Amino acid sequence: MSVLNNKRRHLGKLAAGALALTLFAGQAMAEGSIVVANFPNNWEDAYRKVIKPILAEQEIDLTIAPALTTLQIGNTLAAKKAGAPPPYDALLLSPGDTAVAIDNDLIMKIDPSKLKNWDKLDPMFQTEYGPVVTVEFCGIGYNPDLVPAPSGYKVLFEDPAYKGLVSLGGLSNTEIMAFSEIARIFGDGPLDMDAVFELIKEKKDHLGPFVDTTTHQMTMFQQNEIGVFMACTNNVAKLQSLGVNAEFVAPETGMPAVPVVIHMTKGNADPDAVYAYMDAAISAQAQSELTAPPVELFPTNSDVELTDSIKRFVTKDKVGSFVYLDWVSVAKNRDEWTKAYDRAVKQ
Amino acid sequence: MIQSLKTGGLPFLIPMLLLSFGVFIVPFGVLTAYSLTAGEAPGLFGNYIVFFSDSFNVRVVLDTIKLAVLVTVGVTIAGTPIALVYWHGSPLVRQTVIFLTLLPLLTSNVVRTFAWIVLLGREGPLVAMTNALGITEAPTTFMFTEAGLILAQTQIELPLLVLPLIAVLSRVDPRLVEAAQVAGAGPWRILATVLLPLSLPGYIAGWILCFASATTNFVTQTSIGGARQIYLPQFVYREVSTLFDWPSAAAISLILVISTGSVMLALAMLARHPRLVGHV
Repeated sequence: MSVLNNKRRHLGKLAAGALALTLFAGQAMAEGSIVVANFPNNWEDAYRKVIKPILAEQEIDLTIAPALTTLQIGNTLAAKKAGAPPPYDALLLSPGDTAVAIDNDLIMKIDPSKLKNWDKLDPMFQTEYGPVVTVEFCGIGYNPDLVPAPSGYKVLFEDPAYKGLVSLGGLSNTEIMAFSEIARIFGDGPLDMDAVFELIKEKKDHLGPFVDTTTHQMTMFQQNEIGVFMACTNNVAKLQSLGVNAEFVAPETGMPAVPVVIHMTKGNADPDAVYAYMDAAISAQAQSELTAPPVELFPTNSDVELTDSIKRFVTKDKVGSFVYLDWVSVAKNRDEWTKAYDRAVKQ
Repeated sequence: MIQSLKTGGLPFLIPMLLLSFGVFIVPFGVLTAYSLTAGEAPGLFGNYIVFFSDSFNVRVVLDTIKLAVLVTVGVTIAGTPIALVYWHGSPLVRQTVIFLTLLPLLTSNVVRTFAWIVLLGREGPLVAMTNALGITEAPTTFMFTEAGLILAQTQIELPLLVLPLIAVLSRVDPRLVEAAQVAGAGPWRILATVLLPLSLPGYIAGWILCFASATTNFVTQTSIGGARQIYLPQFVYREVSTLFDWPSAAAISLILVISTGSVMLALAMLARHPRLVGHV
C-alpha cells in the first residue's frame, strides 16, 4: 500500500510538472507569436517559405492558418459571438469580404507610421484598414492536352470541344469575378447573376463538374478530371510548378482583377507583431521572392520589378485599367446568389 | 446494469456523465436555444418554418436520408459476405479479415476520399473496366455522381457494419447450424433462417453507425459528390462560412440531428424488440 502511495505521489508530481511545463510552454509561445489567416495552397506555401523566416529574424513566431476569405470571416465571427479571442490575429481579404468584416466590427484601422515600407506602396495600394499586398488577375486556366485555348468565356458554354470539361466552382471571389464577366456577355451587366444561373441551368449537360472551391478544382485539374476552370494567374503558376500542363488565358472581354489586403483583427494578441507581419509582406525582400515563379504574385512595392511571365498579362501602368468589381454590391447580394446558385446546379 | 449501480457502480459513471453533459448536452442545448430564439425569422420556430417552406430545402433533407439509406444498403450487401468469411474461417483467416477491416480506419477519411477520387476519375481503373466491358463509353467519369458517392461511402463506412456483425456472429453457437444441417436445411436456408436472424442485433448496431456516418460525412460528400449533390452538412457549412447566418445553421443542424436521429431511434427500438433480444 505504501509503495502504491509512493507511486501515486510520484505520479502526482509528474502530472503537476507536466502541467506546469505545458503552461510555461504555452506562455512562451504566446509572446511574440501570432496566427494569421492565409489562402490555402500556393499562398500558404509561399508565405510559409518567405514571410515566416523574415519574422523569425525579429523573434516573431508566425503560424499560418489556411482559410478562404469567407471561412476567415465565419471563424472570426464565431469567436466574437462566443466572446472568445479571435482565431486569427490578421486576416487576408478582398474588398467584398473587407466590407463584411468592417460591418461586423472584426477588423481595425491601422497606423501607417508603424510600417517602414508604407511609402513604397502606390496610393492605390494604401487603405486605411491595411496594405494591399498584391493584385490578383483572373481569367481562365486550361489544359492544352485536353482542350483548345479558349478566347474567352463565351466559347466555354458553346463549343463542343469543352463539353464535360469546364468546371465551375461555388461563389468564391475568383468565381464571382468570372461570373460577373459572363453576366456582362449573356446578361445586362456585371451584377446580372440571374442571367448566369439561367445559362448554367440551360448548359448543365455541357458543363463539367461543379465543386465548391478553386483549390478543389486544382486537385481535379491535376487528375485530368477537368480541362478548364476559372483561375487567377497564381493558381496556374502553382499547377505549372507541380509539372501539370496548365496555361492561363486573359479573356478577350477583359481581365478581372482584385486587390488582396492584410487586415489587423480586433482583439489580436500582439499588434506590434501584426505590424511586423504587414511590413514584411510589403517589403521589397519578400515581394521580390513572391513575384518569382512558382508563386508569381503581382508586387505592390514600387521597388520590385515585374517578372517576364507577369509582364505577359499585366504591366504596372495598366493596373488601374483592369476590371474591378463593385464588391460592396457583391457582399450585399452574395446570400441571395448563393441560394440561387445551389438551385441552378443541383441535379 | 441497475444491479451494478445499486452495488456502487455510479461513481464510475460520473466522469462519463460529466463529460457528456459538458461537451455534448450543454452545447446541444445552446444550439437548440439559438435556433429557436435568434435570427430575423418571426416566432419561436421561425427559422424552421422558413427552412421547410422552401421545397428545395425539403428535397435536400430527403436526399440526405436517401443517400444514407442507399449507403447502408450497399454496406450491408458488401459487409455480409465479409462477416460470413470471418465466421467460417480459420484463425488466420479471421485475423486477416479483422486486419483488413481495421486498416482503412487507421487512415484519415480525407486520405480514403482522395484515393476514391483517383479510382472514380475519368482516367481511373473503374472507368477503364466499365469501358472495356461495354457498360460505359469514353469519355466518362464516376466522379460527381450519386453512384460514385454511394460506392465510395460504402467502402468508407464498411468497418462500421462489419465489426459489430463479427462481434455478434462470434457468439453464435455453431451447434445451431449443425442442428439445422441434421434437420436437412441447405446452406441458403441455414443462412436465411439461422445465421441472419441471429445476426440481426449486429446488423442493427451497424446500420445505426453507418446511417449516422453517411449522413454527416461532409468531406466525402463535397469531394466526390461535388456541388451538384447537395446534402445537409454542406448546407450547414455554407450557412456558417459563406452566408454567416448562424441561426439558420443552428436550425439546419437540429433538422439534421432530428431527421437522422429519428431513423436511428427506430432502429434502436427495433433492436430492443423482444423477438430480437433473445438472440444475443
